[in-house]
Amino acid sequence: MKIIKANDGPLTNFEVLDYLRSRGASKEVAVTVAPSEYKVFEYLVETAACNQTREHVTDFVQKVKTYNLAKAEVLNIINIRPPLPVGIFTIVENCDARLGEAAAEELAEMVSETLPPPLAQPEIQDADQLDETIADGNPQPIADSDGEAA
Amino acid sequence: MFSLSLIEHTLRLPPHLLGLSLEKAVRHELEGLFLDKVIAKLGLCVSVYDIRSINGGFIFPGDGAPTYTVRCRLIMFRPFVGEIIDAKLKDYDENSLRLSLGFFDDICIPPHLLPTPSHFWPDPENGNRRRWVWEYQTDDENQTSGSMFAIDEIGATIRFKVQSISYPSIPLEQPNSSKPFAPMVVTGSIDNDGLGPLSWWE
Repeated sequence: MKIIKANDGPLTNFEVLDYLRSRGASKEVAVTVAPSEYKVFEYLVETAACNQTREHVTDFVQKVKTYNLAKAEVLNIINIRPPLPVGIFTIVENCDARLGEAAAEELAEMVSETLPPPLAQPEIQDADQLDETIADGNPQPIADSDGEAA
Repeated sequence: MFSLSLIEHTLRLPPHLLGLSLEKAVRHELEGLFLDKVIAKLGLCVSVYDIRSINGGFIFPGDGAPTYTVRCRLIMFRPFVGEIIDAKLKDYDENSLRLSLGFFDDICIPPHLLPTPSHFWPDPENGNRRRWVWEYQTDDENQTSGSMFAIDEIGATIRFKVQSISYPSIPLEQPNSSKPFAPMVVTGSIDNDGLGPLSWWE
């Protein structure tokens, strides 16, 4: 086995969940995916990624550009979805110097508005997800290596 | 915590799979080979994302099966340093807290990365079994008593920051009583604002 490119692009939890759903994983049925893949699915479905859609994530990436955050920090925020400023302080390094308290609160509010809360609503979302992924022949990661949003 | 890795692999396709379409057969073989296995420096393979190209198909003399050179992308679980992850508390002892993600169990928080000061004290309510307790001291002059926050609920969700990932090399011999070998170990820290059990920050 030869490694051609060790890091071909980071994936948000949402994208992995989306991919597993398109392969047929869901809460009731798990025949088409391997047991180890299903464990990943079970983990992801309990995080904030379970209700996100592609629009939510691209929308958020667009809006967060004004805050000048590193790509890793944006990825962390999408995966964790902190609704409170204390979560922002955890994720953003040197938060006081770069953002300050007011901006951190603003960012936390924007996160709560743009990304959906992780309450369980899998049935409605599943239908939307499947329609999107069937149309999309070659799904691209949201943020690819040169930093542009899809 | 996930990323894609592009690899090239030469694999032999067993004849009993030749009834399937080529792509399905190759995917089946790749999944058997890589799924749920740790690849050094790349992480834990979660899934085969897509197959970029399949070349070859030659049959070597004396062999009954074709050999293909396949390029594919795998979804690898490889958290980066500084990433914040929520995991469940699986077990704890005086040397570490062990957390689990369901699909990955070898996350370890060593004592020096717990919020300072933390102590491993006996729990009076639980038959004096020892557990980790964080002593939160406020900044005033009167520091005689701080509030105690215990980390002892098995199954509670803990938010931690990835400190490092190591891939220890496979030991040649292991004594029978030691823990099973962990090919990938994630070391985490909860020594910061917003980290630790989620119940502390809600």
